[in-house]
Amino acid sequence: MTHLTMEMLLALREPGSEPGTAAAREHVDGCAACAAELERLHQRAARLKALPTLRPSRDLWPAVAERNRGEQRGRRARWAGTAIGLGLAASVAFTVITGPMGGGGRLAESEQALTEVKERSQLLESALDVYAPETRVLDGQTAHAAQLLEDRIAEVDRELQAVELPAATGRRQQNDEALSLWRERVGLLDALVDVHVTRASNVGL
Amino acid sequence: MDSYVVADADAVLARARSGDPAALESLYRAFEAPAYNLARRICRTTEDAEDVVQEAFFEVCRSIGRYRGDGSLWGWVRTITASKALMRLRRNKYRDTDELDDQIVPSIRREDTALRMDLEAALERLTETARAVVWLHDVEGYTHEEIAGMMGKTVSFSKSQLARAHTRLRGWLGEEVPA
Repeated sequence: MTHLTMEMLLALREPGSEPGTAAAREHVDGCAACAAELERLHQRAARLKALPTLRPSRDLWPAVAERNRGEQRGRRARWAGTAIGLGLAASVAFTVITGPMGGGGRLAESEQALTEVKERSQLLESALDVYAPETRVLDGQTAHAAQLLEDRIAEVDRELQAVELPAATGRRQQNDEALSLWRERVGLLDALVDVHVTRASNVGL
Repeated sequence: MDSYVVADADAVLARARSGDPAALESLYRAFEAPAYNLARRICRTTEDAEDVVQEAFFEVCRSIGRYRGDGSLWGWVRTITASKALMRLRRNKYRDTDELDDQIVPSIRREDTALRMDLEAALERLTETARAVVWLHDVEGYTHEEIAGMMGKTVSFSKSQLARAHTRLRGWLGEEVPA
């Protein structure tokens, strides 16, 4: 009598049915040797599961923690550089696109430019709202980069408040200063959106 | 083996994702033993197993933000650990090629025919690959498809490794059925 191979016996232990298992099962039902072999397989697997849990002879966590701290420090340094770079690049790009206000620009033009840059700022604020960063758990380096940008935005806002107080200077000069600050604000917001968009795509959100 | 849990898991996870060292350590403490056991059962030496556990938990620290909660946290940590252990096997290239395997095993079988090894010793005596397949399949509950994926091999490879391993274990444990 031909007995089942080990592969066939193992196939009988698999969930679901593979081709040929019905015939193999039928054979086991009528063959004491194969039935005993299958039972031994079950018992061996059970004994493997019952083997004692081996434990490390020393605490491995300190080395993991130290390596992780090193990695985090490296990433923070890289992110800080990236965030500052992004902010600067965005500010410069925006300035290049919109062009600086020339000394001879008319008041109407400067007010039009100011309106446009404020609208751009609002648009970016809305984009940030979509990501609702305050409701999300950020990893250390993203949080650090975002914090740098948010701090600078807060500073720009304070400067803007001062500039937009009832004018001590001429209206056009006031507009120029405000425009410059609003442009910086837009650049920073752009960078902040980038940080959150990059993070979101990294984690597959 | 899926019963390992972290107390107050949601809060610990949230803190771990923000890089909180204490939370990350809590995760380590919760899974240290089963992860080491898995690594040690696959790797030849305790040093290798310790390295694997350190690499696995370093990866856990780096990637915890990517854990979506689809399966159990231990299942996620276990797969990282198993992958690292299998990587270690490939890197070390212990005398585990099929060519050598076929040369070594018959001699072992001959000299051990009359022995009645205990299961622990028999398991240790299997080739690296065979032991990894046995452990991942029979103890950790991975399917052949999953094992093949982790090893970069075919499903047939996983199945035949398991069958050969059980044939050897049966012989070494003195469980062979008289013809």
